[in-house]
Formats: sequence, C-alpha cells, structure tokens
Amino acid sequence: MKNPQRSPTNPGSVRSRFTQVFLQSLLRIRKHSPASSSSSSSLGEFLKRCHRVKVAAYVSMARAAGTRRAWSRAMLWRVRHDAHRHRLLQGRCSRSSSRERSPGKKKRRTKKKKKRRDDQEHGFGNAEKLQKLVPGGEAMDFSCLLDETAHYIKCLVTQVKVMRSIADFYSL
Amino acid sequence: MEPTALTLAGSTDAALESFLNEEIRHLIAPPPESANSFTALLGLPRTRAIELLHSPETPNSPGVAVSGNPTRPYFNCLGDGGGGFAFAADSELVVPAARYSVFAGEKNDSLETSSQKVKNEPLTESDSNHNSSSQPLVSDPTVENKGQRPPKRKDREKKGKASAKKSKNESSEVAEELPYVHVRARRGQATDSHSLAERARREKINARMKLLQELVPGCSKVALLGTWCIDKPQQHSEGSEISGTATVLDEIINHVQSLQRQVELLSMRLAAVNPRVDFNMDSIFAAENVSLVESNFPSMVMPLMWPDVQVNGSRQQYHQQWQFNSLPPPVWGREQDNHNYVTPENSLLSYDSPANSGFPICRTKSFFISPLQRLCTQEPPKMEL
Repeated sequence: MKNPQRSPTNPGSVRSRFTQVFLQSLLRIRKHSPASSSSSSSLGEFLKRCHRVKVAAYVSMARAAGTRRAWSRAMLWRVRHDAHRHRLLQGRCSRSSSRERSPGKKKRRTKKKKKRRDDQEHGFGNAEKLQKLVPGGEAMDFSCLLDETAHYIKCLVTQVKVMRSIADFYSL
Repeated sequence: MEPTALTLAGSTDAALESFLNEEIRHLIAPPPESANSFTALLGLPRTRAIELLHSPETPNSPGVAVSGNPTRPYFNCLGDGGGGFAFAADSELVVPAARYSVFAGEKNDSLETSSQKVKNEPLTESDSNHNSSSQPLVSDPTVENKGQRPPKRKDREKKGKASAKKSKNESSEVAEELPYVHVRARRGQATDSHSLAERARREKINARMKLLQELVPGCSKVALLGTWCIDKPQQHSEGSEISGTATVLDEIINHVQSLQRQVELLSMRLAAVNPRVDFNMDSIFAAENVSLVESNFPSMVMPLMWPDVQVNGSRQQYHQQWQFNSLPPPVWGREQDNHNYVTPENSLLSYDSPANSGFPICRTKSFFISPLQRLCTQEPPKMEL
C-alpha cells in the first residue's frame, strides 16, 4: 500500500506505511499472546512480548523503508536468519548448527576492516562503532555508510514518533 | 563578444525558461529531501551528462545544450557548475537565472550557476580569460557549500575556467572519455590522478557528513564545520566545542544509540499496554496522523503537489475523541522520555490551526478506513505490503 506520489524514501510515505504495518503486527501479537490480561502474565511472557513488539517494529520499519536501502535489506535478512537459527536451535538443540549459520552474508560477527586503515584522515576510528549500529554497516565503505546512516536516522526518528504516539494513545 | 552574447541570451531565454520550468516540475514531483538529493542524482543517465559535457566545448552548438533534452542535462552541471562557473558578465543572463531561484538550499546556486555556465562557456571565452583570476577564489567556497554529487565514480568538478582555455589554465585536465568523470584540479593543487580521486572522495564524504550534522540534533554546525576541511586531511584538532572531545561521528553514534534505546522502551510500553476493549484502529490512525502531521508541519517542504482531500467529515468525528483524550494527563510512571518531541497533547490542542489537508497522510486516512474497519470487527488482518 504505497502512496503513489511519494518515493519510498520520503518520510511521509514511510511513516504511513510503517504505522499501518506496525499496527497490524501489534494486533497479531495481541491475538497470539496469552488470553489473560497483561497484569497476570509472568515476567517471561512479558519479556517475550516486548521482544516480539520490538522485532515487529523494526521489521515493519524495514519494510516501509523499502528494499532499496541496504540497511533495510540487512535488517530483514538478519531478522529472518535469527528466527531461522532460533528455530533450529529449538529443534535440534545443538550448538554446532548455530555456528554454521552465524557468518552468513553480512558478516555481523567477523570484524572485517576492509579499508578502515585507509580512512584515518578524518579520524574514522569511530566508523567501526557506527558500522555495528547500522544494520549491514560492515559491508560498506565509509561514504555509503554515512548515506545509510542518514536514512536510518530519519527512519528511526519516524519510528520513535509513531510508537510514542500509539503508546500515549493507549496509556491515556 | 558582447553583442553575440546578448543576442544568444535573447534567443535562448525562452528555451531556458521552458527547460528550467520542466526542471522545477521534475524536482517537485519527487519532493526533494536534503539527505536524498545526491542519491537521487546518482541515477542520472551518463550519456546525457557526457553529451552536455562535450557540447559546451563546441562554440557552435550552445543551443543544443540548453534546449536539448531538458529533463536531465542540468544535473550534470550541478556537479561542475558549483565549482567554477563562469561569471556572467552580462546582466541579461543573470536575470532569468535569478528568476528561477525558487529552490531552497543548495540547489539554488547550482541551478543558476549551471544554467549560466551552459550558456557562458561557449560564449564568453574572452570573458573567462578576463575573470580567470577571480574564478578560483570564488569557486572554492561554492565547492564547499555544495551537498550534491551526481556521479558515482568521481566527482565532476570544474573548478577552472571554460574548458576551451586550456593553455591559460594552470590547472590540469583529465581526459574526457567515457566513462571516466572529469575532475579538474584547483589552482595550485596536486594533479595526479590519485590525489584527484582522493580529493573527490573526501568531498563526497564531507558533503554527507554535513547532511548528517543537520539530521543529528545538538550538533552545532559552527563549531564542527572546522573539523571537515576538504583539502587537507587533518586530525580532530578543533574537535567539538559542545562536549569536549566528542566529534561529529560520536554525536551521530550517540544519537543512533539513543534512538534505538527509545525504540526498546517504547516497545516495552506497548507490550505492557492493557488490552483495551477495542483496538480502535480508526482513532489511532487518525490521532497519530494528526500528531505526526503537526509535529512535522514546519519541516514539510513541498505540500503543493499533494491534492487536497475532503476529510472534513471524518475529521469532525475524530475531533471529539481527541478532546476526550486530551483531558486526562498521561501517566508516565514507567520510564522517562525525552521531552524534546512534540507530545500528542500539544499537537491535539493545536489541531485547530488550519492544517491544510494537502498532506498525503490525510489521503491515506480515507484510503485505509475500509481495511481498518474490517480489523475492528475482529476479522483476521491481512498484511498489505
């Protein structure tokens, strides 16, 4: 459901898509959670729901941002593979399978500093931190990283605003 | 040279108007964003760019450059026009360019200067000679002010004079062949390809850092611009005057981390919300749309193209709910939020100001009402992506 006049990177259309997708996922989480009210649920259940809501928020934001952006693709990939790995762990209960699947395409865990040593001119020592923060950041050169960071920050701000307004609406 | 310049200006005025009008329309249609402008420019067709590049060199075909395919060519000049535009010695050329200064921000200078440049290069060779001394001085700050870099490999920066005057130029010139980008060194700069490439890369990075600075709140630009010197690589000697040794990158990192933490906190809040009787999607959607519209109202750039939608009927129906919601103060006992953002109370109370319903959000309101009503009746929701 895209607003045809807007490009997908525009915060207006991103916001509307995000709200719609996020609200739907919230509804689904609410339905799948235990029927008892939240006050009586255990802490574990509550934390699980928190995690699910957080993942839903990120996934819906990545979907709303579109797959043109590297960070949204990386985030969707990561969520999908985390879920996949989680299921495998539960199914097989073996540590080796998780180690097989952890490297993957985006190489989150390996610290490959491709040309970080060349980027000392502007004091790019913090580029690694930024790479860890932005999803898919390790696979990019610095200028692409900055570009993705800008878009990521915009989408994060949108996400925070929407979530806060929803939460305020319900806490009233 | 002067009379020919004037006559040519007169003849190409209409062409310039038409093609600049088309450009304005073209820019309005996807609403411009500061952070995305250069990425949008990345997609410019290279053939057109090269055509335009070659056309100003031949004095016989200035009209082609201007009145030819008007959709894209000036984007090319955005890259080279920002640097060393030939000064318009003719006032007639300045006036139509000044008329089209509708774009806010950096596009302004690039547009005018590029349009001037396209016409000036074939015409004012003698003028360029004359202005040669002043051009490098002026081109430096304009290069630093630019935030747009069209090509992918290198930056297309013409910081010297018109390309025809190679003999008088002290700067070097890269061979103009496809698909290499033409980078021209500045006066007194090293001219081997490595340093050129590196300088181009550095400027690209600097431009993006500036955009990031604008995005991240609390980054004072005056204090931190000094850290991003374009030409010479330098350490963080100046640093930031805000928080001691924090640099721009640190600020960005802190901001991203704080945003992610806020998302976590908000997700906890949402998970803990008591499931009320009805997940009233209509009212949520309307309320948050309004609040977001209000909070983003000052940052909306181009509401012109969005059609007005008649949502007055639905608006009144939501208005009562907002009034009800604004009465009890929110209980935020669980966590502390930053109070930087526009709270829904402020936005709701200020709703009576005429928010023009030209925003597409209102459009989506009416568009989404039917699936939302279905959701309210507890039917299984469909994922519409």
